[in-house]
Amino acid sequence: MLMSIDSISKSYNAFPNPPAKVLHDVTLNIDAGEAIGLVGESGSGKSTIAKCMLALIKPEDGAITYDGIDVIHAKGEELRRFRREVQMVFQDPYGSLNPRMTVEELIGEGLLIHKLEPTAAARRKRVAEIMDMVGLNPNDMDRYTRSFSGGQRQRIAIARALVIRPRILVCDEPVAALDVSVQAQVINLLQDMQKKLNLAIVFVAHDLAVVRHLCEKIVVLHKGKVVEQGSRDEIFGNPRMPYTQSLLAAVPVPDPVAGRARRAARRLETAN
Amino acid sequence: MTAIAQPATTRRKEGFSAFEIFVFTLVIALLVIAVFGPFLAPDSIYNSDIANSLMPPSAANWFGTDDQGRDVFWRLIVGAQTTLLSAFLVVTLYSLIGVTLATVAAAGPRWLDEGLMRITDIGLALPGMIVALGFAAAMGASLRSAIIAMAITGWPITARMLRGIMRQTMEQPFVAGAQVLGVSKWRLMTKHVLPNSLDVLIVKWAGDIGTTVLVLASLSFIGVGAQPPSAEWGATIAAARGYVSTAWWTVVAPGAAVAITSIAFGLLGDIIQVRRDPSLRGN
Amino acid sequence: MRTVHPMPDQSTVTPLRPPLVTVDKLTVDMPLGRSGASVRIVDGVDFSIGVGERVALVGESGSGKSLTARALMRLDRLARLSGRVDFDGTDLLKLSDRDMGRLRGSSIAMVFQDPMSFLDPLMTIGDQVAETLRIRGIGKAEARKRALAVLDELGVDRAAQRLDAYPHEFSGGMRQRVVLAMALVGEPRLLIADEPTTALDVRVQDQVLDLLDDVSTRRGLAVLFITHDLGVVAGFAERVMVMYSGRIVEDGEVASVFAKPSHPYTQGLIKAVPRIDQDLNTLYAIPGAPPPPLARPGGCPFHPRCDQRFERCDKDLPMLLPVGLSRVACHLHDGHQHDRKGA
Repeated sequence: MLMSIDSISKSYNAFPNPPAKVLHDVTLNIDAGEAIGLVGESGSGKSTIAKCMLALIKPEDGAITYDGIDVIHAKGEELRRFRREVQMVFQDPYGSLNPRMTVEELIGEGLLIHKLEPTAAARRKRVAEIMDMVGLNPNDMDRYTRSFSGGQRQRIAIARALVIRPRILVCDEPVAALDVSVQAQVINLLQDMQKKLNLAIVFVAHDLAVVRHLCEKIVVLHKGKVVEQGSRDEIFGNPRMPYTQSLLAAVPVPDPVAGRARRAARRLETAN
Repeated sequence: MTAIAQPATTRRKEGFSAFEIFVFTLVIALLVIAVFGPFLAPDSIYNSDIANSLMPPSAANWFGTDDQGRDVFWRLIVGAQTTLLSAFLVVTLYSLIGVTLATVAAAGPRWLDEGLMRITDIGLALPGMIVALGFAAAMGASLRSAIIAMAITGWPITARMLRGIMRQTMEQPFVAGAQVLGVSKWRLMTKHVLPNSLDVLIVKWAGDIGTTVLVLASLSFIGVGAQPPSAEWGATIAAARGYVSTAWWTVVAPGAAVAITSIAFGLLGDIIQVRRDPSLRGN
Repeated sequence: MRTVHPMPDQSTVTPLRPPLVTVDKLTVDMPLGRSGASVRIVDGVDFSIGVGERVALVGESGSGKSLTARALMRLDRLARLSGRVDFDGTDLLKLSDRDMGRLRGSSIAMVFQDPMSFLDPLMTIGDQVAETLRIRGIGKAEARKRALAVLDELGVDRAAQRLDAYPHEFSGGMRQRVVLAMALVGEPRLLIADEPTTALDVRVQDQVLDLLDDVSTRRGLAVLFITHDLGVVAGFAERVMVMYSGRIVEDGEVASVFAKPSHPYTQGLIKAVPRIDQDLNTLYAIPGAPPPPLARPGGCPFHPRCDQRFERCDKDLPMLLPVGLSRVACHLHDGHQHDRKGA
């Protein structure tokens, strides 16, 4: 077990209303090299969990442990190691890259601050390698990201995160803002990287079809609570909780025959 | 037929309007005058020539002469350096103070942020010009006192604005990304937050040069800034104010210089702002 | 159930019902700043929508799908439109602004992705829904009665009490129902829906789609549904038009397009979407990205990304021509395939 999240809770101030509790006793584990999907609707708390995992916010109760490090209270060398080994990719390919940095500076920043490569030339070489690996042209290294498409930016974000060889990559809706024809490229890239680098991927998404495609373990969240968790086959083949069932039934299928059959069945069920 | 015709559509940058070119030319001319003017001025303008005092504008003395018989035109040119240099110094100084305080407030813990912002509020509440006047008077009337006084009173707006903008920038995903990567607080602020927050301030600073020229001239005019025989414009107006009815050019020329300079830099600020944010453009 | 017959003489796809809207060579140019230059976002689009027909318009960013739909309503004041939009015998592009204004809301209505930006936070739901009618001179009591009827029809619980509520008291799905009520209260014959469910959670999306389905069937309302989600298309529409780079590249009945897509772009799109009911090892990925309108490639705009391109593709722009029951703009289907063997 690489990371364990043990009954964490989190509230936000909603003055003058009482604090709004967005996570209730959430518990889940991440093993090395596995792809785990956190799914739920808006308000399910899935992004809040991701922020807690990345130590961007602190839960009020509970514990988060990463490879022997107490994440909530980590300091100094422990925190540095955590930062090096747990990385993330965001939804918004436009806001997630500093517009005043070149591609080389963006991707090489992790190497620089963690002192993983001693010289600028060595950093440049590593940046070129990872760019090649994620399907970017290393000749674009000195450009700013302004002129890149959403898909290319997301590749830059992935390269930036992976260049320092993390063990966990947290992805918060990484394809939700991309064009349909580009989503598949990024999904395939993530899948490929997971296998090549033995990377654990935490995939936060509302799109259940994408999660089914990418993740072997799924956690279903609703209103800040874990409703159900299990393997891909358990959740998609035989969901136990009514909430999971209703969520799965509502996903549209790009097939008119199957899609209409699903809808007819669903409406019959709601009618009863 | 095959390709979609799109002539000239790739030209995204728009040309400058005649008015914009006029303002840019004016600002550049003022800067050139301020830098090189004093080297070109004849030595005679530093010496009095009472025989030629208060002569009206003529071919020899374009803007006439003052009570000491010195050429008003050349004194304006020499004064441009003092005036603009002082204004730049003032804006630079208070911007440094403002940027430092804003960065500390934005990066620091809540109590520090609150504390600094309350101090800023006090600074904002005090009438800057009056406080500067008090400071300058206390330090002894001189151009240096005026500059220091204005630097001490000028920073609160910058600090307040920048701190707000930095807080907004810190909400951007790339800042969280940098935190996750493990960058130090110093690098986070200087490399990621500050460069992406300064845009609006640069506009403000361009406009501030204009106001500063005006306030500095006012302080000198009241007598707490530059002292005669300095060619600084405010001091020049002060020295000549007794002759308004008999030799109007001695007052009108430096007054117009102050007005044109402050308006030119103010307009420069507006133009940059409108260019940055097309939504402000009227049709 | 549906067999594909070759019908070579057909110039457009015959709608299942008599046409309500016929769009002919529609182009939309958007100005670039003040320089006088403009960019062609929609480049000569032809299609028709039958009475009561549900048509999906699918495309990616920069494809021009939204601007096409907005052009039917003449919503963008800056856009320069040309071509013909025939609605029930009148050319909408030639109507005066006043007449067009009268048509909006009464004959053609539109709903958008973000319901909140469309609702006035300071006006009650009842007043907002009734407003369309009030503008047309219908009395207050009557307008309120009809607003209530529409909200009821759209499944807003306790509609009578909630007429006097404000938008912030409604959930996302309920707001979209209110916006839908505002669009439908004037009894339009065509509803243009621009990504109306994109911002909603799947379960709410599903409800809104069911609702649209019911309303459309009950009222004989034609719907032009703009979306990027092929799942929504398959479940809701009868016909689908695929746009790429300002043009329609494929237009056909949903069943046949999904069963046997003709254009390589449509084929790629369908293969690129992960499905909840299937396991696949790797998704098919179309390489590259859709071109921005200012940098569209010559020839067929899809050719740089196409895995079936041949010699003609980077030279000639393919026309949208009938292929079976569909229309397709692709050199593979325009009767010149023999060129390929020579290549």
